Amino acid sequence: MATRSAPEEVPHFDLSNPEFSALADEVHAARDKAWFARSNYGVVALRHEQVGALLRDRRLRHGLYSWPELNGVTEGPLHHWWINNLNSQEGDDHRRYRRLLNPLFAPKSIERMAPGFQALTHELIDRFAPTGRCEFVSEFCEEFSARILLQLVGVGESSWRELQRMCGEFGISMGVNIAKELPRIEAALAELYEFTDELIAARRADPGEDAITGLVKTCDSGELTGDELRNMIVMLVFGGLDTTKNQMGIALDVFMRHPDQWDLLAERPELGGRAVEEVLRIEPTVLWISREALEDVEIEGLAIPQGTTVHLLTESASTDPLVGGDVPFDITAEHHPRHLAFGGGPHHCVGHYLARTDMREALPILAKRLRNPRADGPAEFRPWTGLGGPLSLPIAFDPGDAEGRA
Amino acid sequence: MRVILDTELCEANGQCEIMAPDLFRVQADNTVKYEANPDEDRRTEVEDAVEACPTRAIRIKS
Ligand code: HEM
Repeated sequence: MATRSAPEEVPHFDLSNPEFSALADEVHAARDKAWFARSNYGVVALRHEQVGALLRDRRLRHGLYSWPELNGVTEGPLHHWWINNLNSQEGDDHRRYRRLLNPLFAPKSIERMAPGFQALTHELIDRFAPTGRCEFVSEFCEEFSARILLQLVGVGESSWRELQRMCGEFGISMGVNIAKELPRIEAALAELYEFTDELIAARRADPGEDAITGLVKTCDSGELTGDELRNMIVMLVFGGLDTTKNQMGIALDVFMRHPDQWDLLAERPELGGRAVEEVLRIEPTVLWISREALEDVEIEGLAIPQGTTVHLLTESASTDPLVGGDVPFDITAEHHPRHLAFGGGPHHCVGHYLARTDMREALPILAKRLRNPRADGPAEFRPWTGLGGPLSLPIAFDPGDAEGRA
Repeated sequence: MRVILDTELCEANGQCEIMAPDLFRVQADNTVKYEANPDEDRRTEVEDAVEACPTRAIRIKS
């Protein structure tokens, strides 16, 4: 089905250019021509079918695996964390971690958290609602995302600001300053380990029925080492924080461009789940996922030599016309196959049900209580590369009550 | 026990295979071959697969 273009016809993207946007028209135009493009960082996959296939393909490993080493970080605490974390594992090791994590993210236990997500949403809105304005990222998204993760791991929510700061500093490791900022990154990692150790000690002292206690018990029975457990908890907290924060900010921004859909959501809160899927389809925060070929691979005539990095563009794949994705934002619609905002295959987002559930609960409440949201000054955005979303989103709105009445 | 897989929902992510490799297997054509009547003593693993499926395509009938 895919047309094979001669190399000179294949578009080329400069992924490290801060001006490059994974959501740009040029990306969609390239997708119309062929399933892949080239870039200064290897092959870029653009269509749903091939992105999905590459995500499932065991001949490729996670693209972040080699990141520290490529940047000269070949030993020490960060390197140790990195090569042992969940997304660096493949095969049996990966399988063992995913199985151990399964109870923590079981839909029925996440559903039990839903009333707490609603309460948190109301609590945060209560603070700024009377003024009719807020800076949505710092006054809502940051605290929302951090406190949800603290609820997940079952520790006091008052430390949310600390958690944001630690993860923010640790997150520098994902960018080009990894080597230069290594001392700062490793200091943040040490703090995250301390946070994790306290949490584990608290569970050991006062075991509950929860999944973290379950993991601590697994650890005590020897199935998981203490080092693996703290590594894993750091990964979860880190993996869930910025993604949730950004995706919530993106959601509000998307709905401000679709006011009729916001009104509809306020009227029909049961559409919360679908609204989340639509936001993820048209504007995912994880804009690309990377893989590295472990052997020579050929996909639809394209040779991908061993060691090649492949970038999988999630928005491009999810809005691919070949799977009916090139349709307007509509929270009543359902799409099959679904978007790839959570990836796919073995590394499919382990926190997807949590992310889906907290946003499903929060968005309809926001739609009812923040009527007619509009820009209240210029918003700032991260570059639309890697991880996208607003850095600040000042808005004004008409306060609505819990029933959506202004 | 009886296991049902909704092929409309299944997207072959293979999380079921991660949870219970000898009961579920993703095929080269992106369909999933599975044991429809596993022994009762495999219930925990099947439940793990049900919970891990990102598209919620697996159900236990009885
Ligand atoms: C809207 C929110 C979120 C989005 C868009 C998102 C997106 C993603 C994507 C695309 C991947 C796959 C990466 C790859 O294959 O390379 C992933 C993996 C992962 N996510 Fe999420 N995520 C979100 C929320 C969360 C939450 C809340 C948590 C944890 C509490 C979490 C933890 C993880 C972990 C640990 C992995 C690695 C899984 C593995 O390698 O097996 N994510 N996420």
